[in-house]
Amino acid sequence: MDWQAARISLALAVSTALLLLPFSVWLARWLATTAWRGRPMLEALLMLPLLLPPTVIGFYLLTSLGQGSPLGAWLARTLGLRLVFSFEGLLLASVLVNLPFMVQPVQRAFAAIPNSLREAAWVCGLSPWRTFWKIELPLAWPGLLAGVALTMAHTLGEFGVVLMVGGSIAGETKTLSIAIYDRVQAFDMGSAHIMALALVGASLAALALVLGADRAKPLQDR
Amino acid sequence: MRLAAAFDCAGGELLALVGPSGSGKTSVLRAIAGLLNTPGLRGRIQVGEQSQDVWFDSSQRIRQPPQQRRVGLVFQHYALFPHLSALENIALVAGNTWASEQFDALFARMGLSGLQHRRPAQLSGGQQQRVALARALARQPQVLLLDEPFSAVDAPTRQTLYRELASLRRSVAIPMVLVTHDLNEARRLADRVVILDAGESLQIGPPDKVFASPRNARVAELVGIQNHFKGQFFTHTEADPPGFGRLVWHGPGAASRFALSVTDKGRIDNGAEVSWVVAGELLDISVATPQGEPPTPDSPRRTPSGATNTLACCLQEVLALGEISLCTLVPNALPDQRLTLNLSTALLRQLALKPGSDVHLRVPTEAVHIMPLRT
Repeated sequence: MDWQAARISLALAVSTALLLLPFSVWLARWLATTAWRGRPMLEALLMLPLLLPPTVIGFYLLTSLGQGSPLGAWLARTLGLRLVFSFEGLLLASVLVNLPFMVQPVQRAFAAIPNSLREAAWVCGLSPWRTFWKIELPLAWPGLLAGVALTMAHTLGEFGVVLMVGGSIAGETKTLSIAIYDRVQAFDMGSAHIMALALVGASLAALALVLGADRAKPLQDR
Repeated sequence: MRLAAAFDCAGGELLALVGPSGSGKTSVLRAIAGLLNTPGLRGRIQVGEQSQDVWFDSSQRIRQPPQQRRVGLVFQHYALFPHLSALENIALVAGNTWASEQFDALFARMGLSGLQHRRPAQLSGGQQQRVALARALARQPQVLLLDEPFSAVDAPTRQTLYRELASLRRSVAIPMVLVTHDLNEARRLADRVVILDAGESLQIGPPDKVFASPRNARVAELVGIQNHFKGQFFTHTEADPPGFGRLVWHGPGAASRFALSVTDKGRIDNGAEVSWVVAGELLDISVATPQGEPPTPDSPRRTPSGATNTLACCLQEVLALGEISLCTLVPNALPDQRLTLNLSTALLRQLALKPGSDVHLRVPTEAVHIMPLRT
């Protein structure tokens, strides 16, 4: 078991979920309630990472953020930020790739809240902000939980994007899924087995959490 | 949709907005609550004499948000917060200022004692409705709005809730506006009704008045008056008794017609095509004598005032509904027309009337209400 890789994987999964959650809640709630005509286009854009091969996403990120690109050069010059072959770059890629995994369940949860509840809260004197905290967020909670679990599980298992953007730098960008690939190439099947099993367990736990949260939804009956 | 409605409602008065689906009843209610945000909305909504009591005035660009309007709104499906207990649902409105005794008193008054910690899903329909009403009252509203509040409960519960609403009216002296598509409900609960059709208020008045004298044919249709016919009106001539004109009742074919003596109030032009209704409760039925002569003019139940019309009919169908029976009569002179009457089953037995019997129907002039085809 490559503990260093496991730590990086876990750090990546947790930071991705934490970074993505507030933005996704905001975006998902907006998408769930807006009547804007461009909404389907934006939703399609958000879904794109689900369909594109990870290597394609990785390739574009590599070319747009690398030192050779204007954006990459500017970031390095002004902020001293190197976004390829670094943990920060990996995090950025992970956030982008995981957008649909977080936004989708959260959006569905907000869309499932009947508008009459929002209106009832306003008529009861609750400001839009209190309505969000007291009514919408508690009701959308299972969706938020699902989003976090899916994002973390997916981040743990991501391979193509991580390899393209991060390379395989031990202690910096070498995650568990890449460590497994390394072990297999070195014919070290025992270590690969252990790490693969750990990932299977983590994914299974995440899915069980999502489905369990979905089951515990008698609150939503209407 | 187009909305054109104007009405007022006094403190302690219950006003019912009645109309078919899509007539704009709920939109009117939402406008009062501040939930209708159509950009071009014009009008004025005021709940009292103070300046802050003007909730909406398009000419002065006043539009208070729903949070600032003290309105108690009971939603059609109650819109209780499903993740909160009954108590929490109400506490969210009342804020931190209420003592626990106040909550207990409210729960006791609404018949909800002991249910404080149940979630909405654990309450029956009637209990949910009471929690919704308690939540609306906890807002200490200036106006109570009820959106089809009885549509989601079963019939026995509905009867109980009717009685509770009646007793609530005695204790809360605020204007109450009830939206319903059920005319009997409106008739039973409301002091006045507003008949809405396609967003427009057609008639406002006490229910009995509106039912007895609908302003036009559309209102008669909307309030579901069964005996609604077409005819032609002729003003008073020397052949008529003083103050009376004639109504020629005709079916679709010109062949069948029957002239009725009716009051001439001087409002309708001679020869005008009209729509008319007859109030079933003012009609008298008697058995036709074998000779076919009209029955004695002075019925023990009513002294004739001016002209009375006697119509020979055939009792076509009798549908016994317990104490009353729904009877369909066909006038001999107008075989394509049908009159529907609710007669007491006891009276039918007393007169030995059954389908096929020949009867005489006395139609006093005050039972006939004539309306122009369009207003």
